[in-house]
Amino acid sequence: MSTRTLISPAQLARPRGKRLYWLTFGLVVTVFTVVFLGPMYWMVSSGFKDTQEAVATPPTLVPESFQPDNYTQAWNVMDLAGLLGNTLYYAFGALAFQLVLDVAAAYSLSKLRPVFGKAILGMMLATLMIPATVLVVPQYLTVLDVPVFERNLLNTPWAIWLPSVTNAFNIFLLKRFFDSIPRELLDAASMDGASPMRTLWSIVLPISRPILGVVSIFAIVGVWKDFLWPMLTLPDPARQTLNVGIYSLSNGVPVNVLIAALTMASLPTLIIFLIFQRNIMSGLTAGGLKG
Amino acid sequence: MRSARFRRTRRAGAITLVSALTLTALAACGTSSSDDGGGSEGGSGSSDPAAPLDPKTKVTITIDCMPPAAKAAELKEWKEDVAAFNKKYPNVTIDGRSTPGQCLEPPRFTAMLKAKSQPDVFYTYFTDLPQVLDNDGAEDITAYVNDRTVPALADIDPNVLGQLKHENKLYGLPTSNYTMGLLINRKLFEKAGLDPDNPPRTWDEVRTAAKKISDLGDGIAGFGEYSAGNTGGWHFTAQMYSVGGDVVDASGKKAAFNDELGKQVAENLHAMRWEDGSMGKTQLLKWGDLQKQIATDKLGMFLAAPDDITYMVQQLGAHYENFGMGPMPGAENTLAGGNSYMIKKGISPDKIKAAVAWLAFQNLTVGEGQFNWERKKRDDLPVGLPQPNFWLNESKKKDDAARVQHATMPVENFKTFMDNPVPGKAEPPKAQEVYKVLDNVMSGILTNEDADIDKLLDTAEQQVDQVLATQ
Amino acid sequence: MSAPSLTPSKTASARHAQPPPDGPPPPGGSFARSLKRNLTAHGFLIGAVLCFAFFSWYPMVREFLLAFQKTDQGEVSWVGLDNLRTVFNDPAFWQAWRNTLLFTVLALVLGFAVPFAVALVINELRHGKGYLRLLVYLPVMLPPVAAVLLFKYLYDPGYGLLNELLGSVGLPEQQWLQDPDLSMLSVVIASTWMNMGGAALIYLAALQGIPGELYEAAELDGAGLFRKIWHVTIPQTRLILSLLLLMQIIATMQVFVEPFLLTGGAGPEGSTTTVVYLIYQYAFNFNNYGAAAALGLLLLVLLAGFSAAYVKLNRAENE
Repeated sequence: MSTRTLISPAQLARPRGKRLYWLTFGLVVTVFTVVFLGPMYWMVSSGFKDTQEAVATPPTLVPESFQPDNYTQAWNVMDLAGLLGNTLYYAFGALAFQLVLDVAAAYSLSKLRPVFGKAILGMMLATLMIPATVLVVPQYLTVLDVPVFERNLLNTPWAIWLPSVTNAFNIFLLKRFFDSIPRELLDAASMDGASPMRTLWSIVLPISRPILGVVSIFAIVGVWKDFLWPMLTLPDPARQTLNVGIYSLSNGVPVNVLIAALTMASLPTLIIFLIFQRNIMSGLTAGGLKG
Repeated sequence: MRSARFRRTRRAGAITLVSALTLTALAACGTSSSDDGGGSEGGSGSSDPAAPLDPKTKVTITIDCMPPAAKAAELKEWKEDVAAFNKKYPNVTIDGRSTPGQCLEPPRFTAMLKAKSQPDVFYTYFTDLPQVLDNDGAEDITAYVNDRTVPALADIDPNVLGQLKHENKLYGLPTSNYTMGLLINRKLFEKAGLDPDNPPRTWDEVRTAAKKISDLGDGIAGFGEYSAGNTGGWHFTAQMYSVGGDVVDASGKKAAFNDELGKQVAENLHAMRWEDGSMGKTQLLKWGDLQKQIATDKLGMFLAAPDDITYMVQQLGAHYENFGMGPMPGAENTLAGGNSYMIKKGISPDKIKAAVAWLAFQNLTVGEGQFNWERKKRDDLPVGLPQPNFWLNESKKKDDAARVQHATMPVENFKTFMDNPVPGKAEPPKAQEVYKVLDNVMSGILTNEDADIDKLLDTAEQQVDQVLATQ
Repeated sequence: MSAPSLTPSKTASARHAQPPPDGPPPPGGSFARSLKRNLTAHGFLIGAVLCFAFFSWYPMVREFLLAFQKTDQGEVSWVGLDNLRTVFNDPAFWQAWRNTLLFTVLALVLGFAVPFAVALVINELRHGKGYLRLLVYLPVMLPPVAAVLLFKYLYDPGYGLLNELLGSVGLPEQQWLQDPDLSMLSVVIASTWMNMGGAALIYLAALQGIPGELYEAAELDGAGLFRKIWHVTIPQTRLILSLLLLMQIIATMQVFVEPFLLTGGAGPEGSTTTVVYLIYQYAFNFNNYGAAAALGLLLLVLLAGFSAAYVKLNRAENE
């Protein structure tokens, strides 16, 4: 904690500075807690209210009724287990596809360097320039009737998995990382007669763990947070993701049950985050920017 | 480890693996459009479409909108119906699919049609027929439906069946129909000193009553309206009809709401919202929201079909005694609509016959299936609501009597609605698109005190004309 | 399909990156060996390339074609500029652009400045940093739909908590999402709450990289707090700031989920109709893919400029 920041330590050490510091500190902690935990408290507590109290004017800060049954009802009526399962299935499927195909592509572009490799990379990166939402319409029409194969991928997990591979950003991240692996290391391996596949598996991948972690987080978070695409491509309620499912059922249940459902839908990621917060945050920031 | 043989296989394996993965990924993915006429094996049935299903025929039909587990009683009845049906047709398997929550949502339905992923027998709103036909989604069942396959056919209101016809071909069988009326919260009416057995009959009376109810305070609104999710436009249309107006002209090509009647409807709503403050603060509501409000005694009245009450009692924990209904205020016309099942285009004739037989049994037989009021009463389901009711003649007499006999709710609460029928009027062409545009008129009126009604109507007219022009 | 996520593209080890040797890789030898090498390399590539071909490149081409076509029950015909004309003549067209611009400006004021301020404050504190960082990032972990619906509940003018809080400190109640003048701001506030965690953490990391001597030097020159921020902090984090600024512009111009869920998309009097919502409406409500593509093309042209700048900056940053 000895890094020097905006305000000098000398200033802080003075009695007036100290008082000011603690005042600010108290204020910041209070405001932040209210702003960020407040809504979550509201969510959890309103989930316990009975139907009348959940829509009472004025609202009650502390629930006067206690109806934990909301949670079981939300779980059953909205089939949260099913939605959660679907989402995990899509997310990890997309992760697998990205890890296999994107890593292979990045490795090829970085180390095997085939003819037209640069052009292909360029075309991949060019997709970053196209706003994702603009592409939704033609992508949707494509998924409706995939050319050549003449398949309709709607309502199948492929509609999520395959387009997720076209993540130029992840390929770019991976390629940059592979670029930084010293040539000599790989040359040594190929001297030993290792095939490219073998080199990738036993040399490149083990030292790429940090970047694979980052890419994996992106892949999973991408599917986890997406809304418009799964809403369009997975119309069958039995196959919907958590986001879409909650949205489409939000209207058919009383407010208190809906809020209870929101609470439960939020729990899995919150818990994972609280357990792995250090890894996740340091992965995203330290690994992020400090040059 | 380093043997050349090993190396070669690994590499070759890698290439094949990587490329094969994508290829199979693309090729192997299940398609949803396989119209296999499978399951018709053993189909010894007659090739004449008009003939009823041969009981020996072995088929499986998939059907959606089976009651979800959350609606335990209805699901139980569905299963009983399947068992009863299987007594007569032991070889027909009814493969029901259920949806938690609202069974048919327009955007999802459209996507389903495009994906051609509808089950063999699929649930629709009456207004869905054009888009089903646009997507070539439903079989023409004219030849399959006659008084041998649907015994009660002659007693079904032809106006209701007419909504499922296009160019004289029949594309569906109705399951329910509705006309809108004024749904009221009797408790709030009494509290406000109004007579719950005598709901307001004109828009002026609605306005006065709404004011009285909202004066109760406590966040209670007198009258509620939708303004989002296409339901705002739907209700704007209903209000236009109620004063004798229309939203699309007879040619089906031009908007027809930008006139004196349209202004009248808009201005009346604006006055209730902003001068009287009787329409509550929360707006941008869509289907489901007003039901929640009235079920929690936060709303005095709104335009609805009788089956909304069922929904509120079953899903929102409300009580029947608390509600009543009057006819559509204004009473010139009332928006009429309903739901039906259609049959997927391209399935085998035997499947179609099985589907027609099932629908006729479950939805179109007095005293059976959905009209088995005695059983509904036993199962604590609502009996006594005035709709669905598409019967005529003898069937109507029988059915009405059974409703009264087994009523589980005070039928007299619907007396004014029943005694004062208002002529029904079907929804406009391109209904959902038109409604979408009209949502903006509703939301403008209800959220902006300084709303420029002329401009709102002008803009909407322009947009609706455009919608109607693109065919 | 998914937009670039909120983390710049630099990895810990990327800093050791040496520019890869240009030109052909190590001596290939015979033609056969080169062929084999290329086959292997393309074998590794093929999966991703096929996915790109089907789900990215082809749709890109199709977007351009669609904009000048009309699809009528499977029949495709060329209609020239008709779609663009339709789009321009739509009364909602200019409103949607105004709204999108308004959203972008508001989102920048809030979504850009607030996380920076938050990062500055957290960085100055000597205690509880971990807790504060955790708090700021917590909303990012909620499923977006849950967070948005929660805000809808908070905003409700009747039973919502926000009006109750305003009332308790003597401020007038607001209509929030229901007020055409306030609806967009309400959407932005919800969106900022949900998404600022990522940006704040990145700023925090950048702030920690500023050498302390710079502040000391500035103090010797007699600089006060704001002069220090202006002359040291901002210049030192300039690159990150501009990167995130561009990214925010690109992301916010494409906003969809928040208005779609909070106000049903259009909002009161169309006050939250954004360009992307209009595209969605053309395509999925009105079945007019041509108009959707034409409008998409306009958005694309505008954003391409920003995207190009982003890619360029990103390169500069990584060099």
